[in-house]
Amino acid sequence: MHELHHFPPPAVLNMTAQEVTQDRLENQPAGDRFKRAGLLLAVIFAVGFVTVVMKIAGGFGSRSEWGYHAAAFAYLLLTAQSAVLVSVALRMVKAHWRRSLARVSEMFAMVGLFNFLVFIPLLWVLPSTENRLSLWFDLPGNSPHIWDTLTMAILVLCGLGLLYFASIPDLATIRDHSEGKKMIRYRRLAMGWEGTPKQWKSLHAGLGVLGGFYFMMLIYAHAMISVDFSMSLVPGWKDAIFPTYHALSGLQAGLATLIVTLFILRRFGGLNTYIEVDQFWALSKILLATCLLWFYFWWAGFFTYWYGRTPAEQGVLQYIMFETYRIPFFSAFVLCFPMPFLILMWNIMRKTDWGPTLAASFVLLGAMFNVVRMYVPAFAIEDPTSHALKVMPVANWPSISDILGFAGVIAGAILVYMLSSRVFPLISLWEVKEGMLLQRIRTFLKTEIRVMGKPE
Amino acid sequence: MQERVKLTDAEINRDLLRSTVESPRGYWIIIGALAFVVLCGVVSAGFMFNRGLGLTGLNRPVMWGFFITNFVFWIGISHAGVMLSAILRLTQAEWRRPATRAAEILTLFSLMTAMLMPLIHAGRPWRVFYWVFPYDWARGIFPNIRTPLVWDPAAVFTYLTSTILFVYIALIPDIAVLRDRTTGVRHAIYSVLSLGWRGTSRQWRLQLIAGILLSAIILPIFVSVHSIVSWDFGMAIAVEAWHSTIFAPYFVIGAVHSGVSGVVTVMILLRYMFRWENYIRLEHLDALAKLLIVVATTWLFFFMLEFVFGLYAREAPELALRELQTSQMPWAGLAITFLITAYLFPVPMWMFRNVRRSVKWMLITTISVNIGMWLERFLIIVPSLARKQGFTFTWGTYAPSPIEIIIVTASFCMVLMLVLLFAKAFPLIPIADAKEAMILADHIQIGKKKVPAVMREE
Repeated sequence: MHELHHFPPPAVLNMTAQEVTQDRLENQPAGDRFKRAGLLLAVIFAVGFVTVVMKIAGGFGSRSEWGYHAAAFAYLLLTAQSAVLVSVALRMVKAHWRRSLARVSEMFAMVGLFNFLVFIPLLWVLPSTENRLSLWFDLPGNSPHIWDTLTMAILVLCGLGLLYFASIPDLATIRDHSEGKKMIRYRRLAMGWEGTPKQWKSLHAGLGVLGGFYFMMLIYAHAMISVDFSMSLVPGWKDAIFPTYHALSGLQAGLATLIVTLFILRRFGGLNTYIEVDQFWALSKILLATCLLWFYFWWAGFFTYWYGRTPAEQGVLQYIMFETYRIPFFSAFVLCFPMPFLILMWNIMRKTDWGPTLAASFVLLGAMFNVVRMYVPAFAIEDPTSHALKVMPVANWPSISDILGFAGVIAGAILVYMLSSRVFPLISLWEVKEGMLLQRIRTFLKTEIRVMGKPE
Repeated sequence: MQERVKLTDAEINRDLLRSTVESPRGYWIIIGALAFVVLCGVVSAGFMFNRGLGLTGLNRPVMWGFFITNFVFWIGISHAGVMLSAILRLTQAEWRRPATRAAEILTLFSLMTAMLMPLIHAGRPWRVFYWVFPYDWARGIFPNIRTPLVWDPAAVFTYLTSTILFVYIALIPDIAVLRDRTTGVRHAIYSVLSLGWRGTSRQWRLQLIAGILLSAIILPIFVSVHSIVSWDFGMAIAVEAWHSTIFAPYFVIGAVHSGVSGVVTVMILLRYMFRWENYIRLEHLDALAKLLIVVATTWLFFFMLEFVFGLYAREAPELALRELQTSQMPWAGLAITFLITAYLFPVPMWMFRNVRRSVKWMLITTISVNIGMWLERFLIIVPSLARKQGFTFTWGTYAPSPIEIIIVTASFCMVLMLVLLFAKAFPLIPIADAKEAMILADHIQIGKKKVPAVMREE
């Protein structure tokens, strides 16, 4: 046993449950700064929306014009939709420190709904599976259109169900502390929650089932989308690890998204009582592990191709890594592995709120370059029916409208998240209070330590 | 819910050192039986070295069979050990305590057994020198370092060295306890091995730091070892089904699946043999079974990706292989058995709390996993080679000879025998860890209920 006590006891342990409720209900995000940021994002979103509408008006004849839109969709799948998984996974392993970040993570499910809208136009540019490689073998040519849409729809519904289900006790708390129209609205949302033992039991069971289902659906969605919208469009690209690599990139980027969001909420959202360095420290260790795994999965795929050196493999490596799209590839590589690794390998950096945030920011930027080098080249190939890349297509660099469209999608996602925070409390009150019940500060020899209850 | 029993230091010493001072009923009979099978294996191997590999079922084009399957299997088992121990140490999972030593020991002995397999497979073990070491300096003849077959020994030796260090560092405090309770030759040996351990604060601190550092260092080594083993296959473009990008993580997760199952099997045997019910408790089996559900499902996902992407390109040799694996006997029967025993039987069983907390069912399901995982390796290696050639008239098949069956059986007996013999010399549950668990155990009162609690380690 060594240095039992690294951090001061959580500030929330000095509060009563009543004080926590009062604090969070009286300090909902609002204010000028919130509104100004919202307005700016709305403008960027509107401009991006116009560019997408113009693209739709121009028709779906050229797939390469939709490459950056596909990348923007994949970016939100990698970041926001994967961020929900952090809460699910931590709840599964019963990590106490998750409590104050659970809702922050789950609220990204609302962004999933927005991303579904971003996804829809891509269905028109995805070619049928006639004469080209596909996961769907001899099933009808439009199988990817049907099954990928269903996958995304179920993922979104599952995420929303998870967010809503996990929020019910807090919605009931708001109902009990409000009046008038607000009370009526929250009464409907709380669905008669009274906090009976039976209701609590159902809540815990439901969260377990929905969480597990979201987990599986997200991995499945990563696998389907990565193959149907990226790999199968590039002749000669037969890479069994790619769906897993894509899903793992999602876990890494989802974690990074959550860390950056927590930093903003801690520094500018007045949540520093609940989101402490303890959370950053714990999350940073997982981020470090995902960075190492990211490298391992990339390396396993790359190395097998590089060593194999068949003409098809060489063509793919040249196209998406070392020649045509080498700039986004090397940017993604450096930002997703060496940069965060060099920061997070130091405990002294992990034990701050800015160290993990800096590393997470690099990861988010790297994830953006990564989706660009995976999706834009795939959409740039007009005829995906041959068995290997015979002629190397030229690089498709972004136009102004591509950049505005990409920025609009990101701004829209942030705006949706901000607006959702007006409906759901950003801190999961019931989980924080449950954590307060299960923790004690006790004296051990000459120091104070935290004692954690393990009821399950 | 933690179901711990409050024990004094004296009780812990007595219970956990029991294996070193008492022999349970039937212990030496079991050791004798295992030793007999091992002896049969040694004699068979000697006979094979004398007469040649013609005594095995190996023939063109299937030149890798039971021995290489067994090599991959034992390398896989060796992964659990250190993975389980190192990851659980780093994450400070409270339930790790009784599992770590058994896991590390299983790693050590399975790794040693695995290393024997390529030597036996070579038919002339001394020829391995030509394979690994430069053997003709004068003419500058060196092994081809660009082949994964040469990376293998480097990786496995590194892993073995670090595993020995890992086990030894964790053992030092327990060896000191043994030193203080023995006399004569044993005392002298334990005195040397305990490196002057007195249990001072500084020594504890250094031991803890060494443990954490070794845990962090050994994790990349363990990943690299099985990745390199997988590349023995994955880098071969001539065998269609092997050249898959997912092979490295697929092998690693498969190794974790079979290895953790192996650790559970060993823990159950030790619990029964040395009456360690207060230490290896049902909650530990429950936690390990939950971990196994996650690991097994990830493994199944990778397996499905490997299989589906085999079909993805719709190339004739690959389709011929998949057809052989799924619709021709005996391969189809073996494939069904493999899937049922490795996943379809154990994992649904582990969904039930009663199974996770049943010693009997956990023993059955974890043994089932390892039957399945052995078959998995066999089905990766042999059918692929049988369909390696483009021309159908050069296709072949393989059936193991009695010699191969005896040697492989002996390898299982050898690992079990070594684990049991180790238990006579050293405690298989870390004494210091068990005592620390007692110190960290606490409870908190919530209303009328007393909830088990643990002091947070950081």
